Amino acid sequence: MVSVLKRSLAIITLLIIGYWLAQGLAGVPFGQDKMLVGHYYLDHVKEQTGAVNAVTAIVVNYRGFDTLGEVTVLFIASTGVGALLWERKKRRTAKTEGSIVLTTGTRLLVPFVMLFGAYIFIHGHLTPGGGFPGGATIATAFLLLYMAFTMYEIPHKAFEKTEGLVGMGYVIVGLIGLAIGGYFLFDWIWQTWGWGHDNIGRLFSGGFIPIIYILIGLKVGTELSGIIDNMLKEGVKE
Amino acid sequence: MSVPNISAFYFGAISLILIGLYAVLVKKNILKMLIGLSIMETGVNLLLISIGYISGKSAPILSEGIEPNQAVDPIPQALVLTAIVIGVATTAMTLSAAIVLYKHYGTLNVEEIRRLRG
Amino acid sequence: MNGQYASLLIALPLLGAFFVPLIKGLGKKAIKTYVLIITAIQTGIAAWVFQQVYSTGKPIIVMAGGWRPPIGINLYIGHFAALFVLIVAIASFLMAVFNFKAIDVEPIDKYAMLFLLLMLGATGMIATGDIFNLFVFMEITSITAYALTAYNKTGEAAEASLKYMILGGIGSSFFLIGVALIYGATGTLNMAQIAQLAGNIDPTVAQVGLALIVFGLAVEAELFPLNAWAPDAYQAAPHPITAMFSAFVVKAGLYAMARILYLMSSVGTWHNVLKLLVVMATLTVVVAEFSALRQRNVKRMIAYSSISQVGLIALAFALGTQAGVDAGVFQMINHAIIKALLFLGVGYVAVQLGGADIENFHGLGRKMPVTAFGITVGAMAAVGIPLFNIFWSKLRIILATVEAGYTWAAFLVLAASVVEAVYYFRLIHAIWFEGEGERISESIPLVAIVVALVILVVAIGIYPNYLWSVSQKAGSDIFNVAQYIKNVPLMGVGA
Repeated sequence: MVSVLKRSLAIITLLIIGYWLAQGLAGVPFGQDKMLVGHYYLDHVKEQTGAVNAVTAIVVNYRGFDTLGEVTVLFIASTGVGALLWERKKRRTAKTEGSIVLTTGTRLLVPFVMLFGAYIFIHGHLTPGGGFPGGATIATAFLLLYMAFTMYEIPHKAFEKTEGLVGMGYVIVGLIGLAIGGYFLFDWIWQTWGWGHDNIGRLFSGGFIPIIYILIGLKVGTELSGIIDNMLKEGVKE
Repeated sequence: MSVPNISAFYFGAISLILIGLYAVLVKKNILKMLIGLSIMETGVNLLLISIGYISGKSAPILSEGIEPNQAVDPIPQALVLTAIVIGVATTAMTLSAAIVLYKHYGTLNVEEIRRLRG
Repeated sequence: MNGQYASLLIALPLLGAFFVPLIKGLGKKAIKTYVLIITAIQTGIAAWVFQQVYSTGKPIIVMAGGWRPPIGINLYIGHFAALFVLIVAIASFLMAVFNFKAIDVEPIDKYAMLFLLLMLGATGMIATGDIFNLFVFMEITSITAYALTAYNKTGEAAEASLKYMILGGIGSSFFLIGVALIYGATGTLNMAQIAQLAGNIDPTVAQVGLALIVFGLAVEAELFPLNAWAPDAYQAAPHPITAMFSAFVVKAGLYAMARILYLMSSVGTWHNVLKLLVVMATLTVVVAEFSALRQRNVKRMIAYSSISQVGLIALAFALGTQAGVDAGVFQMINHAIIKALLFLGVGYVAVQLGGADIENFHGLGRKMPVTAFGITVGAMAAVGIPLFNIFWSKLRIILATVEAGYTWAAFLVLAASVVEAVYYFRLIHAIWFEGEGERISESIPLVAIVVALVILVVAIGIYPNYLWSVSQKAGSDIFNVAQYIKNVPLMGVGA
């Protein structure tokens, strides 16, 4: 009885919220051109950043500050998971070995999955994708290994150090921008050195976007694998 | 009260948000609440994307003959990229807190946890 | 030095946090010292920025990537942000000292990273000039806060953290919907440009968007229907973290709320949102004070008291007048000092005597006289007794409330203050007039901090004028939106 009351109350509240949201959204017509800053990005993205993919250019270059924050958020998540699930000694406790299909498939696929992940983040300025999807793809390779082999463990100490180093690398790229161009996260490779200006649309272009995306890809890959590692292992008494 | 006239895309996004919110408000199992939270985030991301859509235009990747005036708004897509990553981070945190909770109380039912604490 | 170097305020804590994994083998003490050094440097940079902004009277605009707003993201370090970034840095520094006594739970390296990133998040929230960037920094702050709340890994801590996460998750989704609506209506994310275009937005869209943003931020700012997480989280979190929550994490949320609220002040339906916020804030004050009365745990009691004073600040900001905003900023500064003092004192007692239950406070005046003295001064100041700092800000808020025509709200707040006096005097009575105890030695650095904060409280109480003039400058930084728009070197895109 109570739960029916609670449910109907919740549904009524939700309907009010929904109606109210819809009223607000009715003033924002769908499918129409509402861009203001967007046009500027689309018109100038090639000459100003050297990237063909406007989304990537915005994410890494124009709004690079957001991405720095985003990387930090993921770092916090991996740190937080590590802090909450911390045990003095942790070990894998899975008992069932993966089936023959899974183990053989994993052996075959892992190098290719990693290669594909690397491809995605290296080509972030040209094709859809970038550091985050690329890193996530790499992490799935580790997840496959975890599922297939009960004994497998990532070298988590090395991974943690990589995370820290790569994160520092990103900030340092930004600080070099501050030193060379006078602004934090300034694209010194494209704007000051002018590398790759004849290469727009090919791999060696896009200023510091590929560099940052490689850093992000490594960072996301190690962080997500670290989260998987933390969640799968259980503490053991000494 | 007039019915607001909104497109099907907005309607879908709002429905997802409401379904997620319903799960958070009503469900008793913490994992189900967290799933609701994720559904809600998905709804918000869809909403952002559909706000940036312009009828008849293509993805904002300006290679091979796509001119700047043929592309949709790139900003919401960039925002959603950020929002997705933040959503992943939140999910990871919530799940690990749920693991800690389960270790201590042996249950994920909200009502039983409240009873345990007295 | 060039103003762009103010971006070090963001870069330094980040570098500091990313460096921790490389030194994690050095042991607990080394890591705590490292955090102390980083926060000290941060305080130095913040002091430099503060001095720059207040001596020139001009805000520092940091343009990330060299892109002019609204193309790129800018940090806007005006009078308010410079002041509060300094407060964030100082509070973090003091709590980094407290870490040496209070934190013993492993893994200390993760704690150090989260500690630095909490400071970063609050700094970013206060400094940013872009509405989506605000969302990112808000998430940095809240996700670190989730992790730190659960850091002690007890059942209560995990439960408090989950409560916070679920409310925070709903809040951030709402905030993002609000941002999406405002972006859909204006086509920009830069705060100054939004303010410029706010008058032309469809009033319904603006109202819904603004209300969603206020609701989303109300989770961080601990306003009434959405603050259920706060007492639990304050109680369960490690002691230095509780002090940081109260001293600046809440403030960052409140500031963000006030900033966005005033940016949209040219919207026709603005006053509806203000009225909603006045009601929420008054309810926060009243409900929190009455909940505090029932508490047996002193830390939880002070947490409720903190929430009620935050409600007071929100009330001041919701008045929509210059006097209200100035008084709110003044109260924010005073509240940060008082709550740092109280949570430091109570946390130290809890560390030494094993828990913050009221029983442990019996005879505290004999056991730990300096800490007890500090708590007493903090308690008397929090009630709003003359000669202490909160008196002035509370008085100004109530006057501004009456002036703005919300006599009922002023009356309710005054009634709530009486309740506050009751439980604080009960605490003071327990400390000095009940129980017996042997003297316990108190740590010198902590005693020094307590005494310094006490002196600050009394000094501001007797000579409030300097700080009041600073708060007025900071307040007009929020209130005077036309000046804000003028200060940001907007590029003529689309407008």
